[in-house]
Amino acid sequence: MALNATDRLELSGVSLTLGDQPVLQDLTLATGRGEVLVVLGPSGCGKTSLLRLMAGLVEPGSGTVALNDAPPVPGHGIAMMFQSYRLLPWKTVAANVAFALPDLPRAQREDRVSEVLHLVGLERFADRYPAALSGGMRQRVALARALAPRPDFLLMDEPFAALDAQARELMQAELLRLVGASGGPGVVFVTHSVDEALVLGDRIILLSPRPGRIITDMAVPFARRPDPHDHPDYPALRRTLWERLRQAVLTDPASDFYRPG
Amino acid sequence: MASQSAHLADRKGTGPVATAALRLGFLALILLAWALAARHAPPGLFASPVAVAKAGIGLASSGKLWPALAASLQVYLVGTGLAVMFGGALGIAMGIWPALGRTLDIYVNALAATPRVAFIPLIIVLLGLGLEAKVLIVFLGAVMPIVLNAHAGVQAADPDLLEMAASTGASRGRILWHVILPGAVPFLITGIRIGSTIGLINTIVAELYTAISGLGGLLAVYGSRFQMAEYLAVVIVLALIGVGMTEALRLVSQRLMRWRDV
Repeated sequence: MALNATDRLELSGVSLTLGDQPVLQDLTLATGRGEVLVVLGPSGCGKTSLLRLMAGLVEPGSGTVALNDAPPVPGHGIAMMFQSYRLLPWKTVAANVAFALPDLPRAQREDRVSEVLHLVGLERFADRYPAALSGGMRQRVALARALAPRPDFLLMDEPFAALDAQARELMQAELLRLVGASGGPGVVFVTHSVDEALVLGDRIILLSPRPGRIITDMAVPFARRPDPHDHPDYPALRRTLWERLRQAVLTDPASDFYRPG
Repeated sequence: MASQSAHLADRKGTGPVATAALRLGFLALILLAWALAARHAPPGLFASPVAVAKAGIGLASSGKLWPALAASLQVYLVGTGLAVMFGGALGIAMGIWPALGRTLDIYVNALAATPRVAFIPLIIVLLGLGLEAKVLIVFLGAVMPIVLNAHAGVQAADPDLLEMAASTGASRGRILWHVILPGAVPFLITGIRIGSTIGLINTIVAELYTAISGLGGLLAVYGSRFQMAEYLAVVIVLALIGVGMTEALRLVSQRLMRWRDV
């Protein structure tokens, strides 16, 4: 997990079938350390499956997934964050973060835990149990846990969708601050919100309904600017993305909003 | 969970002091009903609370109670302890290896439904009438609910937490120790609670059906002589053992599940 400016996560020709359901179809994409790649798509388009593939939790039916030219191994250079915080309720905040650091000697582990808790501003709550924390605080613990092993890539599955609007906006800014620092990980961020995609992404990929294919792959011109909403290109870009997303949903026979013809 | 219901009760405004007062009041009611019943029952069939208390003090001071109590506790605690260790391990193994769970599940359930008293003659033939036979009878009674609940506890592990653990690259042992077992604790405690109750019943059954000994032996002696005061004093000692065990388990589960009450 050494700092490496050329860390790359690559998919080529990846398809995935679960049971007899094709989930992802012929995906080819690459991202590197330092980029925030947002994956945008309608519900059930295989976004979560895409992250599982990248994390090495499932193997593709065909094609290859590679982290620095080798198949990804869970926990080695890749960390995940989920919509539900997935903290261990019987462990304190510090112990939850330490859970992601099994191989470190005790002293180093404790140092790293207080370091990342400081990073997310929760060092005062190190000895609390998750039940005593608000949703936003729990998600910051989950973020600290994900950052603790210094991953090359951070895979995030709609991590802020369960938060209220204010907490969500604060967490978005927090995330950009943390990954924008030098040596920050690459981020693959899954969302179904066009606005979240535009605020966070350096690059946005739009997936079709199941089986997911890449419809659009575009760079965000105002990435990492303060107040992206105020950028003159924001409304047009938002409209374009939203229109493509809407069309994809309306023409999908499996969607609730399908309109034949 | 007793701890949960106590928690709920507390929220409704019944504090621990009020609960204790209500319990004492109910105890007084029982004693009153008992005294009335004893007064109207034919002599020799029942004994009043006062007579039972006197008999209990007599048993304790004459030294008859203590060796019997020690003998019964030995059978009870060894049998139940072995059941916790073996049953817990087997149930957890059945949960971790689904093939093992599917294979054994039906047999465990069949054995759990069979009255274990039916095995006593067989046990006597195999092990005789001594401590080993008694411990086995207690063990067989206590082990089944522990196996079944431990199995259920592992099966109930949260798939979201398992996926999270897998994504950190955690080993199987680490997932078992930090994710599966802590999640199974409430199930394990429930299993042990039911198992220890059956274990206490089987302690007395064992002491009556094999070599007469312990508190069960005292019951047999006083019952056959219609010494109802002494007989009921022994029954109360048994009830106290049961209460003690339940309270001990409650404290253990409170300690293990501190994280719930924050």
